Amino acid sequence: MTDIELVVAYVRPDRLGEIKTALAEVGAPSLTVTNVSGRGSQPVKTGQWRGEEYTVDLHQKIKLECVIADVPATHVVEAIADAAHTGDPGDGKIFVLPVEQAHQIRTGATGTDAV
Amino acid sequence: MLTLPLQADPATVAEGVNLLWVLVAAFLVFFMHAGFGMLESGQVRSKNVANQLTKNVLTWGVGIMAYFFVGAGVSALVAAVTTGGSTAGAFSYLNGGSTVWANWLFGAAFSMVAASIVSGAVAERAQLGGYLVFTVVVGALIYPVATGLTWGGGFLAELGFQDFAGAAVVHMTGGVCGLTAAYVIGPRIDKYDEDGSANVIPGHSLPYAILGTLILAFGWFGFNVGTAVEVFQVTDGGELALGDYAYAGRVALNTALVMGAGSIGAAAVGYARQGKVDTLMTANGLLAGLVSVCSIAAVASWSGTLVVGLIAGIQVPLVFEALERVGIDDVCAVFPVHGSAGLLSALAFPFVDTTSAFTVSQLVPQIAGVVVLGVWAAGVTLLVYGALKAIGWARVSRDEEIEGLDAAEHGIETYPEFGKNVVNDVTAPGRPPEGTPAADGGEVTDDD
Repeated sequence: MTDIELVVAYVRPDRLGEIKTALAEVGAPSLTVTNVSGRGSQPVKTGQWRGEEYTVDLHQKIKLECVIADVPATHVVEAIADAAHTGDPGDGKIFVLPVEQAHQIRTGATGTDAV
Repeated sequence: MLTLPLQADPATVAEGVNLLWVLVAAFLVFFMHAGFGMLESGQVRSKNVANQLTKNVLTWGVGIMAYFFVGAGVSALVAAVTTGGSTAGAFSYLNGGSTVWANWLFGAAFSMVAASIVSGAVAERAQLGGYLVFTVVVGALIYPVATGLTWGGGFLAELGFQDFAGAAVVHMTGGVCGLTAAYVIGPRIDKYDEDGSANVIPGHSLPYAILGTLILAFGWFGFNVGTAVEVFQVTDGGELALGDYAYAGRVALNTALVMGAGSIGAAAVGYARQGKVDTLMTANGLLAGLVSVCSIAAVASWSGTLVVGLIAGIQVPLVFEALERVGIDDVCAVFPVHGSAGLLSALAFPFVDTTSAFTVSQLVPQIAGVVVLGVWAAGVTLLVYGALKAIGWARVSRDEEIEGLDAAEHGIETYPEFGKNVVNDVTAPGRPPEGTPAADGGEVTDDD
């Protein structure tokens, strides 16, 4: 095992700008984002097509992946949580996972050097 | 002031200007096909877009052949047979010469509007082959009989049936064909749950649908104002005078106002029910308004036009929901937009005609006209699509419908960059033959 961790966060799309700034401030600027849809505590929404309503129970979110080595995961989690927080259902969740190995494609570096 | 005599034959001037106008109007009506293509493809899911576009292109492809070689002649035959006239020369337009052909094109563009309406009703499950067979029937028989009975001088015209630009002849006929075909084919797999409750299946592109709506509206000026086809006429005294153009401004004004009234009517229904203005319904209301002015545009006052257009817009969501309740899956709402709005226009005629006061004897031929045209369109569609269904040509298989008609009928992915991105993977199962380019955005060459 290494000291590398993967922070995965599911957040509101409109919070991305704030989160990027916060991550840069704690020294973890590298990240990957993906458009995703999912559901949790946020109540269903109503969509409409030619005047007819239908239920939308999957909400648009952004999945954010941040691999860290030298920065404490708690700092990164706090930074994301603070920047993503609105207080309403649907703010999202953050998970921290251990990473077994890392490899930088350009340099061939492995382990924490690759992160 | 010195008055110079016109050094030209008035008949030549009249013919030249009239030709110019009928061709310009025909080109505008032709452009409505771009509108139909966008309107319909926007309302289907991304897996059926290429199929919908193919149907729109080939509607013209096979439909114009059918109308040229058969349809226009059938129209003349029907007019002659139902009034005891001579059938000789029904097909003389085939070698009629330039001026005859220009006028033929204007009629042909109308015929293809009627044919084009059907594809929106049967979208997302109708097989391409069966659809094209039906389009040939529309272009060669259904529409030509409708025009033969009316504009061609057939028995409905003799009864006194009035339909200026074809609210009933073109739109109601096309709308009834679409409705009947959708009924015969049955709803899309996902449309109804087992308990019969209807599901909403949103289309893939509202921008396409709205672009299509406004292209149709633009072409509609040619459709309606072009029906005032004669710019100049030559008087008995040999002088130039305005022909149909004497009332063309009224037609143009009514066309512009009615689309406003229709869109407001449909938007108001949505707002009253959900507290929100629905974009697509508003656009459908605009088109229903345009259909509802077709019979009356040349004779209605602007106030009469506004009332009819408003009703046309309001009825769109109501008729659409009624169809949904009885299990008819009219994907693009073609019956509310073309069918019932066309019916409304033809029946409204005696009530809004500023050239004569309302009389029951004027309403009777209007009722007779819509009944005959409606029964004719529904009857032939039942027969033809019933036969297509019996031989398995009406709709695609369940698996093909689930996968999407683009893949099943065309081998096409409409938006390939959002799909599977196989980068020339030699190990991929079921890989295409050597040398087939891979969808990696780059050029694939074979050096051998």
